[in-house]
Amino acid sequence: MKRLVVSLCLLLGLAWAQDAFKVAVVMPSATNDLAFSESMYDSLLAIQEEMGADNFEFDYADGTFVVDDAAAAIRDWASQGYDLIIAHGSQYGAPLQEIAPDFPDVSFAWGTAGDTFGMDNVYAYEAASDQGGYVNGVIAATLSKSGIIGVVGPIEVGDAKLYVDGFKIGATATNPEVQVNVNYIGSFGDVALATEAANTHAEAGADVLTGSAQMVVGAIGVAKERGLLWLGTQASQTELAPEIVVANQVYDWTVILKPIIEQVKAGKLGGEAYVITLENGGLDMEINDNAGADAKAAAEAAISGIIDGSIAPLGE
Amino acid sequence: MAIAKLLPSGHPRIDHMEMRHISKRFPGVIANDRVNFDVRAGEIHALLGENGAGKSTLMRQLYGLYQPDEGEIIFDGQGKTILSPNDAIKLGIGMIHQHFMLVNSLTVAENVALGLKSSKGFLTDLDVVVKRIEELTKLYGLKVDPHAYIWQLSVGEQQRVEIIKALYRGAALLILDEPTAVLTPQEVNEFFAILGQMASEGHALIFISHKLGEVMDFTHRVTVLRDGKNAGETLTKDTSKTELAEMMVGRQLKLVPDKAPVKVGQARLMLKNVSALSDRGLPALKQVSLELRAGEILGLAGVSGNGQLELAEVIAGLRPLSAGQVLIDGQDISRKSPAQIIERGLSYIPEERNRDGMIKDFNIAENLILRENNKAPYAKNGLLNFSVITKTAQTLVQQFTVKTPSVETPIKNLSGGNAQKVILARELSRNPSVLIAAQPTRGVDIGASEYLRDQIVRQREKGTATLLISEDLDEILALSDRIAIIFHGEIMGILAREEASLERIGLMIAGEA
Amino acid sequence: MQDFLDWTVVIGILSSGIRLATPYLYAAIGETFGQRSGVLNLGVDGIMLLAAFSSYFTVLTLGSPWLGLLVAILVGGLMGIAMGFISITLQAEQGISGIGVYLFGLGLSDLLFQKFVGTAKAISGFKEFPIPLLSKIPFFGDIFFSQSVLVYGAYLLIPLAWFILNKTTFGLNIRAVGENPEAADSLGVSVQKTRYLTLTLGGILAGIAGASLSIALLNVFQQNLTNGMGFIAVALVYFGGWRPFYVLLGSLIFSFVNALQVWMQVLGVPIPSDIAVMMPYVLTIVVLIFSAGRVRPPAALTKTYERGS
Repeated sequence: MKRLVVSLCLLLGLAWAQDAFKVAVVMPSATNDLAFSESMYDSLLAIQEEMGADNFEFDYADGTFVVDDAAAAIRDWASQGYDLIIAHGSQYGAPLQEIAPDFPDVSFAWGTAGDTFGMDNVYAYEAASDQGGYVNGVIAATLSKSGIIGVVGPIEVGDAKLYVDGFKIGATATNPEVQVNVNYIGSFGDVALATEAANTHAEAGADVLTGSAQMVVGAIGVAKERGLLWLGTQASQTELAPEIVVANQVYDWTVILKPIIEQVKAGKLGGEAYVITLENGGLDMEINDNAGADAKAAAEAAISGIIDGSIAPLGE
Repeated sequence: MAIAKLLPSGHPRIDHMEMRHISKRFPGVIANDRVNFDVRAGEIHALLGENGAGKSTLMRQLYGLYQPDEGEIIFDGQGKTILSPNDAIKLGIGMIHQHFMLVNSLTVAENVALGLKSSKGFLTDLDVVVKRIEELTKLYGLKVDPHAYIWQLSVGEQQRVEIIKALYRGAALLILDEPTAVLTPQEVNEFFAILGQMASEGHALIFISHKLGEVMDFTHRVTVLRDGKNAGETLTKDTSKTELAEMMVGRQLKLVPDKAPVKVGQARLMLKNVSALSDRGLPALKQVSLELRAGEILGLAGVSGNGQLELAEVIAGLRPLSAGQVLIDGQDISRKSPAQIIERGLSYIPEERNRDGMIKDFNIAENLILRENNKAPYAKNGLLNFSVITKTAQTLVQQFTVKTPSVETPIKNLSGGNAQKVILARELSRNPSVLIAAQPTRGVDIGASEYLRDQIVRQREKGTATLLISEDLDEILALSDRIAIIFHGEIMGILAREEASLERIGLMIAGEA
Repeated sequence: MQDFLDWTVVIGILSSGIRLATPYLYAAIGETFGQRSGVLNLGVDGIMLLAAFSSYFTVLTLGSPWLGLLVAILVGGLMGIAMGFISITLQAEQGISGIGVYLFGLGLSDLLFQKFVGTAKAISGFKEFPIPLLSKIPFFGDIFFSQSVLVYGAYLLIPLAWFILNKTTFGLNIRAVGENPEAADSLGVSVQKTRYLTLTLGGILAGIAGASLSIALLNVFQQNLTNGMGFIAVALVYFGGWRPFYVLLGSLIFSFVNALQVWMQVLGVPIPSDIAVMMPYVLTIVVLIFSAGRVRPPAALTKTYERGS
């Protein structure tokens, strides 16, 4: 279904805008998942707004949680004259590694990852999510009254693991007495189990929760229901439960997409790895008013500490 | 008298059912051409004919599965239209299909209750059904446990369940479609005892068959169909097997092939103290010793399941022997593979021909070369030579009178008799030293059986040593030069043809002499 | 790290497991009916998704969870009939038909969600409904009698399903049609009608399974919300040997172990998360292999039936 939409867009694109920079992106979940895929979609929209629809076009296949489907989409696009193809999900690395050498004139980017496979037509990008994790940890430890904080993680890899590790360090650095209970549910999509994990954290006494990836919507529901505080990451999750979401670490991929686009235009198709950080503005801490002045102040301090290098969440 | 009109089951009887001038056409075929048939309360009426003679078509019209194009069906003087099996059941007709219509995972009572209106609304009323089944089993002497699961029952018991199902639904007239095909000889006797009693109590029974022996032994009247038409109708006591067989095929038949005396040559197959286990790991053959000489047919008589299958498989190399030795033309083949044994000159017509004797989805030509498909002239350098294969196949099909549109027809589309002719052609065309023919005419038309038997006898004249395994004692007596009797995996004795009689063999196969 | 087996934890694990098992129970019991009648419906997950979205959208716009449940039942039933039309009337291969139904449900639920809702919004669905008196029983009250109505329904369904299959004429017809459709047909039991009924019933139950997620347990909808639960439900039917109480056993083991591993991680029991999340799958298979014994599947399962063939 989506492939059809993509092809139609492509035809129209070829007919109307010969000179526009063309990007295609494959994502594991929906463009409005309040998390990983949404962050990329929003970034591309922002770039399009800035460059103008005549100069920048993008197509996407979202909800492509089956890796084989993603591989097929990547291969299709590669043969169709796109300037840059983004494989937004670390699970797409293996197929990309096979496909990229077949299309040496096409530029690919994939993340979150730090490895370009040594290929000069592949860019890698990742998020230093431990930084926002650290800040969220600081806020959580400041706000928790019970001294117990719950974390609902997906699978113990990639930026989710970075986030959770940073979060733990931020929380215990703020209050060594605080207890951070971590749970990985083994899936990016199992909303039911994420919900039960949040319930379990609550039963175990947690009064502040956080979690990473798109399956946390159910966990946020639990927090809302039980009146617990929530800290978001990847995208802003405030709108789902404004009364209990106190802060979000928001990914802004434009910071790295812009230089990649410039490089591709200039003829350099890959070979570099990028990271979004608090410092380069790719990570943005959105702190809501319900966090209160104390937590806000502590968070600001942590942010500047990370930017000036005096705090390194996971060490150097 | 109203009371006499009731059957033991309490249902009304059908005194006389008549089918008059029934015609039924299918695209390209007239299956029934103005056929007349009738049955009366108190009789077992055999409907006899070759495969494709129109017996089943006629009965399917009586049971409402087809509607006749012409003709009428009359019950006790009244014309009836039967549009579905439900109509037929309401008229008091029951049909017992050749393949049982039983659900294995359900109990007897559940099978009987299936499809009936329950006295308890949407709940099943199995207690009521069980009671009624117990009544019926008592009334008719049909011993069956209503609580048993079908899969726990023997084939004979399953057939009784089918009869109970029909009686439960009030059947006064029972159609039995080749009911003995799956029964052992003992079960056949019990089965006909039950049918005889039912008839004497006022049921009308139609027995569809092509088995002459059973028709002669157990029925009162016979109607013969041939090519969709009436070929004769007679009281059983006024006719003979030969007469019935000729009515079926429409020509003179030789039920016993002419056997020219053949000079018996050297020993071709020798079994020395052969023992083997069954699939379940129990001793199936115990110290069997046999010797077959060139130019003789040794008949192996016995009730199925007494080691015949295992014996054939041991010789063919399909089953390991636990002790003893098998020799073909003096060479030990006890530990050889099937392919090596074939090389030594063995041909084998297996009992389960649909499973072991052919590949159903292959065509006739492919089945004909199965044994030698990787050898010249059929194959060269691993490639099949189709022109040679087709030519050979056409010759064999003609020589063995296989009725088929072409040699490219899948073998599964052939009748049992024609399929068996293909297998026979494959096995005999290589002029084997030893031939094992297991149940060569089971389920085969009488016309084709005559041909197959004749071919086996002709092969004997070419010096082949033949082991004929059959449950059909008439066949054993007609073809064999010597007769061995097997019982519980042991050879009970070997008789010369002259000293063998039906009675004597009958006792020996039951282990009583 | 607190004491691992104190009462809070035990109650937590049990009540969490009871909730987790709920959608599996509805879906698997529905599938059991279909399979006992000889139809393998691999579309359960798609039916769950479409019903989950429909009921979610109903609650989002109209507010009533009961209305949402009704819509889920209707949508599920219709999808069951659709599966019947493809696999019974058109006689398409069952496995392929089911995958088609799955993909249809997956795609359409996502499309409708994007079009009419957009971003995940929390709704207020079925609340926990403590049963008067019973919920006051210490220990058991918290576990069994302080749940949502749809959770109670799932457990009442098990004996009901057993009763229907084993004690009613409808159940007898189902079992006969799934084993030997020819025999059933010869006795006037309509194979097609029976299979349509079981598929419709299976669709309705899959619909309730979907609703139990979106309007009772999670109160949210998201693309591919079920995350393959429908397929696990089909597997549970196989492992449960097509018998409701063993399906219950399988669902409970799977869910309890899942709840247990969540608790173990939360309480900091040192076990790698990758191993922990595998536990429910491994243990369920092991337990069912040894407890359910070797059971033959319905003999006519996956076989289309045509009279006289």
